[in-house]
Amino acid sequence: MTQPATTYGPLEQVDEYCWRIPPTYRPGMRVPGLIFAHPSQIDKILADKSLEQVANVACLPGVQVASLAMPDIHLGYGFCIGGVCATDPHEGGVISPGGVGYDINCGVRLLRSNLRVDDVQPRLERLVSRLFGRIPTGAGQSGHYRFTYQELRQLMREGPAALIPRGWATQRDIDYTEARGCLADADPSAVSQRALERGTDQCGTLGGGNHFLEVQVVDQVFDEQAAAAMGLAQGMVCVMIHSGSRGLGYQVCQDALHQLRGVPERYGIVLPDRQLACAPVLSEEGRHYLGAMRAAANFAWCNRQLLMWQAREVFESVFEKPWSQLGLELVYDVAHNIAKPEDHQVEGHTKRVWVHRKGATRAFPPGHPELPPPYRPVGQPVLIPGDMGRASWVLVGQPGSMARTFGSTCHGAGRAMSRTEAVRRAQGRQIQQELSLRGIVARARGWRGLAEEQPEAYKDVDLVVEVVHQANLSKKVARMRPLGVIKG
Amino acid sequence: MYEFFEHTADIGLRVRAATLEELFAHAGRGLLALLVDEPDSVRSVQSLTIRLQSDSVEQLFYDWLNELLYIFETRRLLLGRFEVRLTGDLTSLEAQAWGEPLDPQRHRLGPEVKAATYHELMVQRRDDGWFAQAILDI
Repeated sequence: MTQPATTYGPLEQVDEYCWRIPPTYRPGMRVPGLIFAHPSQIDKILADKSLEQVANVACLPGVQVASLAMPDIHLGYGFCIGGVCATDPHEGGVISPGGVGYDINCGVRLLRSNLRVDDVQPRLERLVSRLFGRIPTGAGQSGHYRFTYQELRQLMREGPAALIPRGWATQRDIDYTEARGCLADADPSAVSQRALERGTDQCGTLGGGNHFLEVQVVDQVFDEQAAAAMGLAQGMVCVMIHSGSRGLGYQVCQDALHQLRGVPERYGIVLPDRQLACAPVLSEEGRHYLGAMRAAANFAWCNRQLLMWQAREVFESVFEKPWSQLGLELVYDVAHNIAKPEDHQVEGHTKRVWVHRKGATRAFPPGHPELPPPYRPVGQPVLIPGDMGRASWVLVGQPGSMARTFGSTCHGAGRAMSRTEAVRRAQGRQIQQELSLRGIVARARGWRGLAEEQPEAYKDVDLVVEVVHQANLSKKVARMRPLGVIKG
Repeated sequence: MYEFFEHTADIGLRVRAATLEELFAHAGRGLLALLVDEPDSVRSVQSLTIRLQSDSVEQLFYDWLNELLYIFETRRLLLGRFEVRLTGDLTSLEAQAWGEPLDPQRHRLGPEVKAATYHELMVQRRDDGWFAQAILDI
């Protein structure tokens, strides 16, 4: 179906949900920009500088095909949130910490269960209360699990598989985690002392900001086959966990940005934005960051594993049954702030490229060999944490992602309102009460946490999901409704 | 003194002071106001010396904010009063800082601050004193 060419500022409409920034838009662009968005979002995108960030990323050495943005696009550090790009090391391709984010391997995991709403509703207050009491949230909270620096290095090298002998993970947990929870070639020695100090008591803590642990119910199933493959069904109670690499990861990013000062110039790289600090993948500096980034990513998977373990234990105490009997199995775990070496088709050839996903999720299609066997017929689960008080989604990767976005899709709803504005608007409102009126039990460290994350502060996740669904990047499987949430 | 400004998913801090030393002190105070709801509730019962060396005044300002975050995160120490001395070339500082350990009974924590970033980082001498700005990733 062809659409008449329509210009929206510098954007050319490619199809109903795809918009192109021509490479002539800015000198230095090596490839076009491609933004996946609903037409109703375009005004907002033109108004903030996220479009500029997409164009800037198109200037990076070795960038392949296009600089991409998902429909949850908003302003970020160097890369926009929702930004995706792939670089080819053999064309001087670079690795950029801004294309991963401060929270390395921020991501989401989902547990299914044998519980239904009627099982949980009578005990919901107690459940949320105990989750909140047990799981450290927000700033200044130490975790219940302590690791020596040597043990931390093992976690960074091996990921949550290292937790199996300690009884805090099962092999199945590992098998149903993206990359099996371990990026190869992690280099714990590239992680600074300061990062270790920050991480030492934070493994198994939720953190603050938009991190949360949510008890949800499957509200609507859109694809029966995919839902069945994942063990999901309408009315089923699930648990969604959104967190990342904590202070360890933030420090690794900070260290890298510090170390990369002056480095692009040394390699003759001219950057349109200093925040796109980068180094060639095949360079000392590039290798150093990649070693540290993978170590932090593996730590993040350990963090989400321990968060899940604590949640399982709380469910055990509330429902007085072993978690395995409650069916609290891991559906999947996805990263949405990461860079990975992946094989993709570029102009008819298979190339190993470094895919940066900054607020974007991998979405491998049916048949992809990396998927656990039960998911190969249906595609990789994609977990989209919605905003507090509204929906979250489970999708599956579709062939369109491999064709158009280096195997990527959106990650969540994206902020529409700044945090200070959100707090201003919330003053005088009782967020907790408002959520309660909707039947949602929420516990946070302070009202500011709730106010900053109020549903109105986020774009409409349903719209974002609709766009990726229509663009064939990932297909709707189930929509989840929150019952209870804990956050920092 | 200091104020916060909007920046989509993060928070911006702007600081103004007559002298550079006061600028750093106010910035520390501003950071505290982000970390806890009532910065005035932080008592000066403990002190420590902070020494930093950088290669520019902007980098020093960035290191200062990140150092205070690091101290809070790893030692749970809230710092609210500062006496800052800078070297002549404005690339090093030595500061006395006062505060107290985090007390969940009295201190209500604000957002988790990941880092002070290089984004829109600025330290400027102006006609009426000094101005600095940093975006904090939260």
